[in-house]
Amino acid sequence: MSTAETASLLPKVKAWLLARKPEAGDIEMDLDLIENRLIDSLGFLEFVFFLEELGGREIKFDGDSLHKFRSLRAINENIFGAQ
Amino acid sequence: MDTVANTDFTRTLNRLVELSIDGYYNPYTELQWEEALDDEQWWMPASLLTLYDTKFIDEFDEPQLMKLSKWESIHFYSLNIHGIRELLIEVTKRIHSPGYEGASEFFHHFIGEENEHMWFFAKFCLKYGSKIYPDKSMKMNVAELESDIQTFLVFARILIFEEIVDYFNIRIGKDESLHPVIRQVNNVHHQDESRHVAFGRQFVAQLHRDLIAAYGHARLTEIEGYLRRYIDASLQSFYNPAVYRDAGIEDEYRLRSALLKEPGRTRQHEKIMGRTTDFLIKNGILSEENSTL
Ligand SMILES: [Fe+2]
Ligand SMILES: [Fe+2]
Repeated sequence: MSTAETASLLPKVKAWLLARKPEAGDIEMDLDLIENRLIDSLGFLEFVFFLEELGGREIKFDGDSLHKFRSLRAINENIFGAQ
Repeated sequence: MDTVANTDFTRTLNRLVELSIDGYYNPYTELQWEEALDDEQWWMPASLLTLYDTKFIDEFDEPQLMKLSKWESIHFYSLNIHGIRELLIEVTKRIHSPGYEGASEFFHHFIGEENEHMWFFAKFCLKYGSKIYPDKSMKMNVAELESDIQTFLVFARILIFEEIVDYFNIRIGKDESLHPVIRQVNNVHHQDESRHVAFGRQFVAQLHRDLIAAYGHARLTEIEGYLRRYIDASLQSFYNPAVYRDAGIEDEYRLRSALLKEPGRTRQHEKIMGRTTDFLIKNGILSEENSTL
């Protein structure tokens, strides 16, 4: 995906997260989403399917895939393939 | 504190161990397999499909639904494999450690049986589906919780998972129109699981009584909230876009979201969870007034 295309996806990810946790206010690119409980184990699958649909492809899971979801920057690079 | 220091419970454990030994079968030699199973047949009853009791099921003809039943069943066995991995890790962590002296003999059988279950479910998936659906769940981080709460949550989750699975095993195993190879793994699993569920119910009830003695109302409500969300998340994990895609259904993500909003699916979830919620309410683990299920 081109940088311009992925740039339009991140605001949607942010909106999805904030809809579930409005008190978070704003989400910085490097904020740890798991430590700050913007995603947790029970809502995680929902988030994965949302990102797959948004990115237009299935996310591959191997041994430790959690790092791919750590922050908006990580999602942008690992899930949406931004350079 | 010995978590199984209660004589009733000790009797149950002894009886379950005896039943395990008497009913032992060797799955590696005793299960019958076919070289291949035809796509065009029912792999599970239509009533167990995630489209059942919704308007969506009418959009497909029988061969399409049969194909869906194949991938939903491969997915069901895949969920089993991942669930077993997690419960083996948790039980293995506790066997022969302080507090589990009385349960360790039972745990040996439990671990042995679950290892076999994982083997035959994986074999079924790989032989007839050439795949195991990957586990996309995130493990709950309970490290910061008190160890007695962690233990309660671990065994409550194992019990809920095993009871959901059993609902499917019983119905697939009993359906005489299904292929014997399909019925066999479900029947065999159901037999072992009836012992695991019997253990789980007593153990979870006891662990919860200990929590009541140790914690106040607010904390117990928090734990209950967690269990309710775990039940929902477990039921929702059955709706997998990858399964719909494999069955040739388009718009798989939207289908998943739409299905989860269907009243018919809430009805089916209540059926699947019925006896488990009854048990949890009866033992004060879930309160009736908060009941959404
Ligand atoms: Fe099992
Ligand atoms: Fe089991």
